[in-house]
Amino acid sequence: MVDLSAKIGDLVLQNPVMVASGTFGYASESADLFDLNQLGGIVTKSISLNPRAGNPPPRIFEVAAGMLNSIGLANVGVEAFIAEKLPFLRSLQTRIIVNIAGGTAEEFVRVVEHLEDESGIAAYELNYSCPNVREGGLEFSQDPSVTQKVTAQVRRVTGRPVIAKLTPNVTRVSTIARAARDGGADAVSLINTLVGLAIDTETRRPRIYAGKAGYSGPAIKPVALAKVFEVAQEVDIPIIGIGGIFSSNDALEFLIAGASVIQIGTANFVDPTTGIRVIKGIERYCAEHELPACAELVGSLRPWCDNDTSS
Amino acid sequence: MQKSNEASPAGSRGIFDCRVLSITHFSNQIYSLRLSCPDIAQKAEPGQFVNLKVNQDLFPILRRPFSISQVNQSDGWIEVVWKIVGVGTELMSRLRTGQVVSVLGPLGNGFTIDPDAENAVLVAGGLGVAPFPYLFERLVAMHRRVRVFLGARTGSELVLTQGFSRGNADVELATEDGSVGFRGLVTGPLVTFLDKTEHLDSVQLFACGPTPFLNAMCEIAKKYQVKCQISLETTMACGFGICVGCPVRTADNGKRFMLTCVDGPVFEAGKVALHG
Repeated sequence: MVDLSAKIGDLVLQNPVMVASGTFGYASESADLFDLNQLGGIVTKSISLNPRAGNPPPRIFEVAAGMLNSIGLANVGVEAFIAEKLPFLRSLQTRIIVNIAGGTAEEFVRVVEHLEDESGIAAYELNYSCPNVREGGLEFSQDPSVTQKVTAQVRRVTGRPVIAKLTPNVTRVSTIARAARDGGADAVSLINTLVGLAIDTETRRPRIYAGKAGYSGPAIKPVALAKVFEVAQEVDIPIIGIGGIFSSNDALEFLIAGASVIQIGTANFVDPTTGIRVIKGIERYCAEHELPACAELVGSLRPWCDNDTSS
Repeated sequence: MQKSNEASPAGSRGIFDCRVLSITHFSNQIYSLRLSCPDIAQKAEPGQFVNLKVNQDLFPILRRPFSISQVNQSDGWIEVVWKIVGVGTELMSRLRTGQVVSVLGPLGNGFTIDPDAENAVLVAGGLGVAPFPYLFERLVAMHRRVRVFLGARTGSELVLTQGFSRGNADVELATEDGSVGFRGLVTGPLVTFLDKTEHLDSVQLFACGPTPFLNAMCEIAKKYQVKCQISLETTMACGFGICVGCPVRTADNGKRFMLTCVDGPVFEAGKVALHG
């Protein structure tokens, strides 16, 4: 028996495979397709203080080995989330992580305050790719001082684990990860989507209504792995690895690069049961390599050396 | 055929590995595919759709949604029809008998047949004919009087016309170039029909096709005060509500959105605001 359990601070998961925010709705959409309780965790859509209608179409466009999206954080708002979505999520045995969106630090805090008295929430993941309305639309995790300040403000109002989800659209993501840790984050998840653009040459319009959009899918996996590895080397904080994971081998790469946990994103749109395949594949790999626990893989990347005679 | 995920509970929609029974090339890059899929054949309602993935590669990576065109429950197959518009549909056109396709479905809300509407009128623009053979069969089985108006740019794009031969239905054809049937838009013969129909409260329209055509259908339904259901086509990723990528504006103020995949693809005319 392989021990698949994973830890992020005090948060213990039955396996290291979560589904990523914005790629699994509120989970009930997939409930008849497979047993959701097999997942290590479910991260909800980003929840904001007030309901958001989201962007006009087109919101998505397929590109090479991935897709662009700009949904505009469409969600029911925290009150309707508690009344209509949380009861189902609470009934599951897997860990529920609520992803939170805000336009200001206060909005992040207020959403957390709404959720604090609700049971069935294992952790919060803060969507720091939201545009900061006070900073001219700069994403929260594009400025380390803002990242640290918002994290610290959320930290003050909750005892639950706080995960900072970071944008890759910065010069050095480890600087931002350190700021999140210094603000009191228990873990960081990365990467959110890369900024991308596609153009219809007939109309000369962007393929996405909002213009710029988030690039996700297999194309971004090497970028994500490099960012995860960088943070693992530079900052002493648990990492949740995200970016183009479609197979268990993809997931294993992230674990070896230094992620304790991984999230499946875009792959859910193609096959919502991807997480189950990935869990089984990780277990099989560990058994074949005589690893008693998959946690032993985390950060186990071996460097090349000149006199290394092993395979 | 085999359910690709053993963890799926039985008796609902699912993801199925389905064998290609046949592929038909009509003309002008229009094809149809018959897939062995007993589970979906059992459950599918007219107007529902399936989301297909025909390759294992990274591009194209997303599934492609198609109306369920025809169903045979006893033989356990479904059919879809498409025109080549990009890499996904081009790849589909190269499928061969015996190959396996991943099918997610049945998805979405199908047509709602009004219990009081004795006269069903099916109106298609181009490949909007796709969901109608199955709807037609259902209406005939319900002993409805069915009238079919099929339009296309040119005669070679008028496909599936043989699907409406049962139950002595009236089928009227229209082409923009006049190569077959009425010369002009399909809404022309429809309006002529409505003008000479006395009991419009017994009529229910079903429309599927390009957005300008659907807008025209909504106008006609409003002018003649006729019940009308429209089936929409949009870009989709997942097909069941998790990507939130297929919004359609509500008609009330145009500021809210519904999702084509889970709130549609069939909507009551006048409930949504279509653009483009």
